[in-house]
Amino acid sequence: MNSRSPSSSWRGWAFIGFPLAIILVFTALPTVVGVALSFFEWGGGDRPRFIALDNYQAAMTRDPQLWLAMRNTLVFAIGTVPVTVILAFLVAVALHARWFVGKTLARTLFFLPTVMSIVAVGFIWQWMLNPRTGLLNVIVAGQGADLPDWLGDSWLGLGTMMFVQVWRNLGFCVVLYVAALGRVPRSMYDAASVDGAGSWRATWHITWPAVRPMTAFLMITGTIWALQVFDLDVVMNGWNPQRFNDLLNTHIFREFKNGRLGYSATIGVFVLVLTAMVTYAQLRWLRLSKATTV
Amino acid sequence: MSGRTHPPLIVRITLHVAIYAGALTMVLPVAWIVSTSLKSHHDAISAVPTLLPAGPPSEWQWHNYAQAWTIAQFGDFYRNSLLVAAVVTVLSVAYNALAGFAFAKMRFRGRNLAFGLMLATMLLPFQVYFIFAYVLCGWLGYVDHLQALIVPFLASAFGIFYMRQSIITIPDSLLDAGRIDGLSDFELFWHIVVPLVRPALGALAIFTFMASWNNFFWPLIVIDSTDNFTLPLAVNRLTSDYFTPSPPIRMAAAIILIIPTVGVYLIFERSFVKGLTLTGVKG
Repeated sequence: MNSRSPSSSWRGWAFIGFPLAIILVFTALPTVVGVALSFFEWGGGDRPRFIALDNYQAAMTRDPQLWLAMRNTLVFAIGTVPVTVILAFLVAVALHARWFVGKTLARTLFFLPTVMSIVAVGFIWQWMLNPRTGLLNVIVAGQGADLPDWLGDSWLGLGTMMFVQVWRNLGFCVVLYVAALGRVPRSMYDAASVDGAGSWRATWHITWPAVRPMTAFLMITGTIWALQVFDLDVVMNGWNPQRFNDLLNTHIFREFKNGRLGYSATIGVFVLVLTAMVTYAQLRWLRLSKATTV
Repeated sequence: MSGRTHPPLIVRITLHVAIYAGALTMVLPVAWIVSTSLKSHHDAISAVPTLLPAGPPSEWQWHNYAQAWTIAQFGDFYRNSLLVAAVVTVLSVAYNALAGFAFAKMRFRGRNLAFGLMLATMLLPFQVYFIFAYVLCGWLGYVDHLQALIVPFLASAFGIFYMRQSIITIPDSLLDAGRIDGLSDFELFWHIVVPLVRPALGALAIFTFMASWNNFFWPLIVIDSTDNFTLPLAVNRLTSDYFTPSPPIRMAAAIILIIPTVGVYLIFERSFVKGLTLTGVKG
């Protein structure tokens, strides 16, 4: 900045020291130790016992539930993130249009689920989908008709969880897209209307490419969150052990609760690697596509 | 879409219908549990559900809320949740702002390294670090105490990054003028920076409060005894087998749980949405 605060000074550390220490001690250090723990057997009490790759071998060969959870987590991420992002884009385009009546009201309503505790979200949907008294029965099937068990231990149960995930994240993406749309220069559209481009074509050929960085951001953060989803599973399905629609993090937490800290860390490393791979792939896709950005 | 030509009327009407149908999907489930929370037990579990509670509003079962409050001893849990959220919000916003200021406007040894390290932690999945964070809290004597919900949250990488992005837009000339007047770094922060970034501080305070209030996974791990439950843990317990009150009472409890965050959101809607879009992502 200037000569009075030279870069040889340590003074900034008085400002960042404590906050940085909190972050490093409770996030970075436990990550490093967590990765190290994946090579140990440890119940949390005595000295950890080094077992090299045994945890990984066990995960690969002796834990079919892990691969079920892995499959479900990937299905969950792939099935929710693009749907959420594309729906949010379409909603945001409509909310951004000059002729739309009630922008603020609609935006507020879409965002509402985002601020609610996940525990309440679980209550809401368990009650909505209750096979006997749920509102859905009344609306969809008429009174007294038989409906499937939406929260059952099946593909349908997984699908329901995915629906609720979209439901509670859509508003967040809508709000960020609306802001991004507000920053697209009007001149882009002026050029297009000279060419006679209609609204649909303008949306597809101008707006969508113009907000591509936001799309990439929402895809990346959305995927990271989806891979880490856990609480939704707990509040919607409870603590059923070892189920068809298990997720990776439910599995980790179960192992943790059973006092198998080393093994749960091993599965955590799987999540870490998966997260890193997905983030890298999406960043690459973003960079490669930059040339096509208007 | 913001061009000079509007789409045909029929398209505009269709889009309005579609968007408001979507908005209704967002709200209807919430409205439904509000309605349920005001019904009698008998009406709530009737096989022929009604949209509204029976009778005029004066005859709705408002006492369900009082009952939920006392049955589940929400007074204590509300106090725990408020205490944690208040302490975390006040202190972490202060620490994050101070660090954000240093990263944005001070030059010092190791700054870029520290900043990079901090940003990298934002990508780390909770599933890897919660295990040893739990062990660490055990060693520090925090497990099953509210400290475990406070101390690790006294600063956040996101918060520091957010404040840094906001503070960096302040012109250096303003700070230089302050320096010439002989202000220390802290005085610069307090007298010049803080008044200028008040909206960002407010938005960060709202985010932090909501995140703390809604925090569920971590309290589920570190808090065992009922005395130290936060509200989400207490409400979650109402679904467990050994303690399940009737549906209207449960729904009233869920409403009690979401009132603070929904209230804060509706009151501060404008600054909340504005703050959310200032996270430094360019679109």
